[in-house]
Amino acid sequence: MPDMLTAEPFLGGYTLDLGDVAVAEVTDISIVSIAMPLGGGDALANAVQAAWGCALPAPRGTSVSSDGSVTLIFSTPDQTLAILPGVDGLAVTDVAAKLGDVGYYTEQTDNWVGLRASGAKSISALERICPLDLASMSVGGAERTVMEHLGVFIMREDDERFLLLSGSSSAKSFLHAVELSMRNVT
Amino acid sequence: MIINHPLLGPRDAAEFYVMGDADLINRPDPDAEGAAEAFYEYAYLRDNPAGEHRELWYHEQGDRSWLVVTRSTLTHEIMNVEMARDVALAKGRGQ
Amino acid sequence: MTQSNRIAGGLVDRSKQLSFTFNNKSMTGYEGDTLASALLANGQRLVGRSFKYHRPRGIFSAGSEEPNAMVHLRRGAAQEPNTRATVAELFNGLEATSQNHRGSLEFDLMSVTDLASPFLSAGFYYKTFMWPKKFWEKLYEPAIRASAGLGRLSMQEDPDSYDKGFLHCDMLIIGAGPAGLMAALTAGRAGARVILADEDHLMGGRLNAETLSVDDQEGSAWAAAAAAELDAMPNVRLMTRTSVYGAYDHGVYGALERMTDHVPTSGGKPRQVLWRIYTKRAILTAGATERSIAFPMNDRPGVMLAGSVRTYVNRYGVAPGKKVAVFTNNDDGWRTATDLHAAGVSIAAVIDSREITPLAAIPGALILMGASVASTSGYLGLKSIATSSGVKIETDCLAVSGGWSPNVHLTCHQRGRPTWRDDIGAFVPGGDLPIGMHVAGAGNGSLALASSLKEGANVSASVASDLGFAATAAFPSAEDQSTDITPFWHVEGKGRAWIDLQNDVTVKDVKQSQAEGFRSVEHLKRYTTLGMATDQGKTSNVLGLAIMAEATGKSIPETGTTIFRPPYSPVPIGALAGRARGKDFRPFRLTPSHKWAETHGADFVEAGAWLRAQWFRKGSEKGWRDSVDREVEATRGSVGICDVTTLGKIDIQGRDAAAFLNKVYANGFAKLAVGKVRYGLMMREDGIVMDDGTTARLRENHFIMTTTTANAGPVFRHMEFARQCLWPGMDVHLISTTDGWAQFAVAGPNARNLLSKIVDMDISNEAFPFMACAETTVCGGTPARLFRISFSGELAFEIAVPARYGDAMMTKLMEAGEEFDATPYGTEALGVMRIEKGHAAGNELTGQTTANNLGLGKMVSKKKDSIGNKLSERPEMNREDDLRLVGFKPVDTSKPLAAGAHFVDNGKEAVTKNDLGWMTSVAYSPELGHSIGLGFLKKGDQRKGDKLRAVDLLRGGEVKVEVVSPHMIDPEGERLRA
Repeated sequence: MPDMLTAEPFLGGYTLDLGDVAVAEVTDISIVSIAMPLGGGDALANAVQAAWGCALPAPRGTSVSSDGSVTLIFSTPDQTLAILPGVDGLAVTDVAAKLGDVGYYTEQTDNWVGLRASGAKSISALERICPLDLASMSVGGAERTVMEHLGVFIMREDDERFLLLSGSSSAKSFLHAVELSMRNVT
Repeated sequence: MIINHPLLGPRDAAEFYVMGDADLINRPDPDAEGAAEAFYEYAYLRDNPAGEHRELWYHEQGDRSWLVVTRSTLTHEIMNVEMARDVALAKGRGQ
Repeated sequence: MTQSNRIAGGLVDRSKQLSFTFNNKSMTGYEGDTLASALLANGQRLVGRSFKYHRPRGIFSAGSEEPNAMVHLRRGAAQEPNTRATVAELFNGLEATSQNHRGSLEFDLMSVTDLASPFLSAGFYYKTFMWPKKFWEKLYEPAIRASAGLGRLSMQEDPDSYDKGFLHCDMLIIGAGPAGLMAALTAGRAGARVILADEDHLMGGRLNAETLSVDDQEGSAWAAAAAAELDAMPNVRLMTRTSVYGAYDHGVYGALERMTDHVPTSGGKPRQVLWRIYTKRAILTAGATERSIAFPMNDRPGVMLAGSVRTYVNRYGVAPGKKVAVFTNNDDGWRTATDLHAAGVSIAAVIDSREITPLAAIPGALILMGASVASTSGYLGLKSIATSSGVKIETDCLAVSGGWSPNVHLTCHQRGRPTWRDDIGAFVPGGDLPIGMHVAGAGNGSLALASSLKEGANVSASVASDLGFAATAAFPSAEDQSTDITPFWHVEGKGRAWIDLQNDVTVKDVKQSQAEGFRSVEHLKRYTTLGMATDQGKTSNVLGLAIMAEATGKSIPETGTTIFRPPYSPVPIGALAGRARGKDFRPFRLTPSHKWAETHGADFVEAGAWLRAQWFRKGSEKGWRDSVDREVEATRGSVGICDVTTLGKIDIQGRDAAAFLNKVYANGFAKLAVGKVRYGLMMREDGIVMDDGTTARLRENHFIMTTTTANAGPVFRHMEFARQCLWPGMDVHLISTTDGWAQFAVAGPNARNLLSKIVDMDISNEAFPFMACAETTVCGGTPARLFRISFSGELAFEIAVPARYGDAMMTKLMEAGEEFDATPYGTEALGVMRIEKGHAAGNELTGQTTANNLGLGKMVSKKKDSIGNKLSERPEMNREDDLRLVGFKPVDTSKPLAAGAHFVDNGKEAVTKNDLGWMTSVAYSPELGHSIGLGFLKKGDQRKGDKLRAVDLLRGGEVKVEVVSPHMIDPEGERLRA
């Protein structure tokens, strides 16, 4: 509809390539939190298996749907963050419809700004702000921690590629922290 | 300080918020006899031992679990870390 | 100046000559020099003035233990004081100047203090500058500070940047001398993840300073080969120029890596990086530091540590003197004489305090056994010495060895206590090491080379095996040089005998403090300042307490030792601050309409981490009040728009969500209808109000809670505690959605007219009454949430859209509101309107106020259990005559009110016993046309209409006020229900 509001990425779709290391805002994902009802773990796990063909993620890990489009991140002992492709309206509606009445669903897409850090020096850059042992993190591993006072989900997508999610209101400060780390090691 | 989170492994204390004595889990029964006195003690009276101490730590920049950390206040050695929810359930707070 | 003292040999690169200046004098050195070695090469013995007496001082050591040779390095804003010349690597264009003197270094005007030295003994300041008391701050302290001291700050902002970082390893090896290299090789070959850190730019430690061989190679060559092997291992991280300065809890270590201090400019990159290193185990292979012997006038330039003298010769190819004498109490001191002789430096004498057979015959040198040095001469540099038996020896450099003290510092950082070993005359690490720390090599008292190499390998193999690596210890061939010692601490005689050169502490000071009753070593340290300041007494502590022991007639173990805290060596404040400077001090949170606000005249205010618009300057408005008054009038007159995204939003879901809200809120929530919002009052368990806000019930099991901006985090934490620890049997789940939704208050009589143009639903009063809520869409499809709540007291809504639409939403609201003169308003106008309505905010919710104080006592439900309910029933919190929140207006309405003023009855003196409460918030109300206030007043609810004094004793001033209802505008709430 012509009158509908236009969405603006929190960092305007920022990208920076410094050769050995690069950062880019991730603007094409939706995020939904799925909470597991007390005593309802099996029902939720079954629904996730049926819908996406994968299990719920274990602590410090992720689980990827059989078609590779959806990634589930362990967030708390009874919550999972689902990362879905594309962004349009509220993803929570689709997830709730897909999984049914076996979980509690909360839209999280706009709570987070996504940054993808990549390159041979991505660990050298991130170790300036991330207290976790990234070299020991396996591909598909995910953790939540604090970088420069900001809460961050960090997920290792590949040997030299990390997805970072941090609060969208502090997106600029977070980008500054990541970018400065990269500039400091290149 | 490093806290060995039962689910997530060793984590820097910088990720946590500390609230002190784990006795705060034992909120009194408001309907029991002497509840006013029990709540007064619960809210205000804490032991401050030199040595082993059970404390509540919240993994605020992590998985948001409250933990019960058994720690020596003299050496900072951490003897045990439990999920506070499990501790509370074991005390019958799930009823 | 030519390099008059440069001799052959050493590890410097003579093909790379470097120019530098010292006190504006041009000099040259080579790559691989330190500033100290280059100064000595140029014959510059005098490099500074002492702390207290302004005595001429020279280079004393060749490492980070240096007490004397501190200089200003670089110029202008980049000038760094107290840089130890012994660790400053030479680079082309380096500029150094000496410090702590007035006039030139050679003719320091302050050296007159040296003449007064008989009076300036330990405790002088404490005893002398006591009276009159007020003179201390104005006269004594500035005068003392001007005369005593170290270097000066540039007083300009540090132009360099700093960074921090985090590293992880199985084994951290601290110090890359023989033991450290062996430990790293052993663990590295076994596959362990190793970090090997050394403060030097060259791995090898003493191997680079000695003429000892390992595996039939020169020690330095073996060290270079070992470092190369380690460098090729992917599991090993070599960190040169890195000082591990602290051992913290649970295997965490602090380290400072100097990235660009050895080059002219940092090139925009961080000058230093402060690392936090997480280790499974650590092996401290920190080596040992030589100490001096106290003898009369032992502080002259040219009196140096013996091991350092041969470091300059062997490593740097620099002879610290033309005719060198050695004074020792141990075998190691003789190595200086033999090494120097082999390098062609003339040895004047070897003076050994022990009555033993001389260890070597050195041609041309006087060998004196059972002798000691009793005096020296040469004001700006050593000229001669005389022994106790009166033998005078011409010499320009006296190499002194009082034995070697293991560097136990890091073993003490968790209160470990070193133990004394008589056989080596030194303290070694005690058994109570920090968890996960092991010690090897000279730092563990294994002073000789072969033992050190072997211990490094053995300890490392054992630690690596513990960690599950198949490690074997293999040893290179080497010999144990002789290190026999007979402790000998000081020489009696005329004249001052220095123990601590940096703080000008002498034998006399230690004896005096002992005589005055300072018997504990800790008291000795504080009274005399022994072992303080930048070197932390690395060369003087043991000497000082040995002399203390002698004075008390006790043994050294009985006397004990002071222990050490981090940092091992100085860490610049800039490095500790890291990036946290200026606007990067902490992160900022921006509201979704931030960009819009920036382009529309907003002034921003920090609200916690948030930057919020506090008002929007328009046209010719001069002061903030003009803008705020206009915003309030426009809102109350037509419609205003305010970004309220910063309020905490917590999504609460679960079968027991309503029951849970009943626990955390003092008032009832179980019966809140779906599609409705309710104001909630949250208490702490002690019955004090913690926070307030509105909570909307979107569905049976789905609520959205709002918190105050400041308490979003604490309330979430509190509710997680309640959920996990108090009621773990409830099915309830929490997640923050604060950042996810851009939320705008649209307030004023035209609010509905404006929003009807945007919201895709019927929002008439009938369809969407006061305190209604709904999930809806705006602009024909953008998802939204609508709440009919009002903080301003006007007809008002809060509309929320996903944050990525926030900027567009703000623009859209302003467009749609154009016909109503819609006005953006900031936090100040928000504050004015909430004061007019008597809503409590941060100034009232102080963490000390009860529901009764706020006039909300009736909200606390007696029918259910909730957090704080029980303790809020205590009699003291329910007194009739307690404070109540009420409104105030000035009797003379032209007068402004002041927050913080205290209320006193008319005719009563403004003293504590007559205090009736205080003003919490004030504002100018454009609608009422005068200043208004909220405040806590004793029995305030019963005093409407009374007139009181509002006395501001802090800033002066007093206003007569009348007590009014806190609901100063539209008390019946007709507007917000319209």
